[in-house]
Amino acid sequence: MGTEKQTVGPMTGRERVLAALKREPVDRTPICNPTSVATVELMDLVDAPFPEANRQPELMARLAATGYTELGFDTIMPVFTIIQESSALGCKIQWEQKDNWPTVRMREPIWEDIDEIKIPSDFLTHQDTKCVLDAIKILKKEYGDDVAIIGKTMGPWSQAYHCFGVEPFLLLSLDDPGQTKLALDRLKEATIEFGVAQIEAGADALTLPDHATGDLVSGEYYERYLRDLHIEFVERIPIPLILHICGRTVDRMEYIAQTGMAAFHYDSKNEPGESMEVVKERISLVGNINNPETLFSKGPEDVRGEVYKNLESGVQLVGPECAIPLQTAIENLKEIPKAVQDWHKEQAGLN
Amino acid sequence: MGQTVDIGKRIELVPMDPHFHDITIALYQQGPEESPLFLVHTYSQIEGAQERIQFAIEAMTHLGNLVVTANGLLQFPCGSGHQLACRRTFLESCKLSPNESAEPRPLQILDKKSGLTITVDSLGKGIYQVKADGKGRRADRRISAIAGGLMKLGEMEEVDGTLDKVAFPCGDSHDALVGLLLVRAPNVRAIVREQEMAASRGVLAAPSQQN
Repeated sequence: MGTEKQTVGPMTGRERVLAALKREPVDRTPICNPTSVATVELMDLVDAPFPEANRQPELMARLAATGYTELGFDTIMPVFTIIQESSALGCKIQWEQKDNWPTVRMREPIWEDIDEIKIPSDFLTHQDTKCVLDAIKILKKEYGDDVAIIGKTMGPWSQAYHCFGVEPFLLLSLDDPGQTKLALDRLKEATIEFGVAQIEAGADALTLPDHATGDLVSGEYYERYLRDLHIEFVERIPIPLILHICGRTVDRMEYIAQTGMAAFHYDSKNEPGESMEVVKERISLVGNINNPETLFSKGPEDVRGEVYKNLESGVQLVGPECAIPLQTAIENLKEIPKAVQDWHKEQAGLN
Repeated sequence: MGQTVDIGKRIELVPMDPHFHDITIALYQQGPEESPLFLVHTYSQIEGAQERIQFAIEAMTHLGNLVVTANGLLQFPCGSGHQLACRRTFLESCKLSPNESAEPRPLQILDKKSGLTITVDSLGKGIYQVKADGKGRRADRRISAIAGGLMKLGEMEEVDGTLDKVAFPCGDSHDALVGLLLVRAPNVRAIVREQEMAASRGVLAAPSQQN
């Protein structure tokens, strides 16, 4: 069990998370959500519903804090959506209602040619990026000593999907690798700018989703287009980075492990054991409780089973695999910390 | 530190109540599986939210003939769970605006598909018989389909291999429940589609999976 072989004294959630991201000893495995754990019931509890909680910093902070105050996680992650920067870049957003996620209208792309890529001068003062920065400041002030505040900055592959549309960008990547690399290189500045701004606001770590997902993009593509960029992010964003890619990604975990990222937030389509074997302690793994089937549709016993499976494989930080469905039951989410604590008690009893 | 406490197992959810400030209302189940109690609950603390919950509880007593216990929970008079039927009663109750009155529904409907008038008779001991009147077509098939719909929606059982009789396993009559389910029984597929759509809402998809 990589991170808990040595005995250490009681830690705060923040200390625990930051140690696990460095694969250092911890008092117990941290419960970590690199992506959203907001639900419609939690929105009611603190009167911070979507879509307003994605656009007003006080509401964003209040809803995010429930991950710690109500669910008992060791992290608070206020960037629920994947569209904050895209909105600031000029994408059209479908803001939706309380019970659904805002999305980028990718059928109405803002760019057709890579020469059109431009990061606006108000990128960090736009309502939807500033909201994140202000929410992080609020959370740092209120909870910064106790828990790890995790921000989020979207990678260039995700941004390219949003700004060019999924199909046009994938076709570009097939037809013109040089132009594709140039596009990613230009877009990476948005990732870095927003990431660094969140560090200045008080973030302890950043999730970096870059949707080179297993369904559309191969491991070879990751190596060709993204590995070096991700190495550059590690060099230029001076804080632990948690890479997030959905889907079956074992075919690229070797390359991901070479990037120097602190951790990889991995999907339940990958077995904990096989994933740990590939990354070989070069990065930490975070995950991978299944969302649609387990957290959303099943009960606490099934959640517990998946938590145990991760712990037994030595996964360093346990949490949901991705942003949880907004209708997820609170009892299932609270089971994650309970199960982690019970597992450690059982292990202590065995020794 | 937290305000959320163990209030049971959540079995149904209305994520946005269109009749009261889009609050979320949930149905929780407590107690043993064979004789559960049900809690209608919202975490919303806005003014009027508890009155809205009381309205939903009241509506469930009329639409599904559930009874309210001393501590404000709901149960069926027979003591059995009838969980699916209870969930349907909850969903239908939340569809009512505070200005509407919740009345038990009749044991008779017009089946739009066949033009037949469908009637359900209580035969006692929880057994119900589906009958059809009128000039509609395929009466036997519609009777069988609607009886099948009642079985699916209310977790009822067939009676001695008949196609027109169904029964509650508890052996008690539940006329109000049958009236409530009868409206939906002719088209169970529509309910399944409705449930699938509701379940897919609020699930974040990767950009590559979005339309």
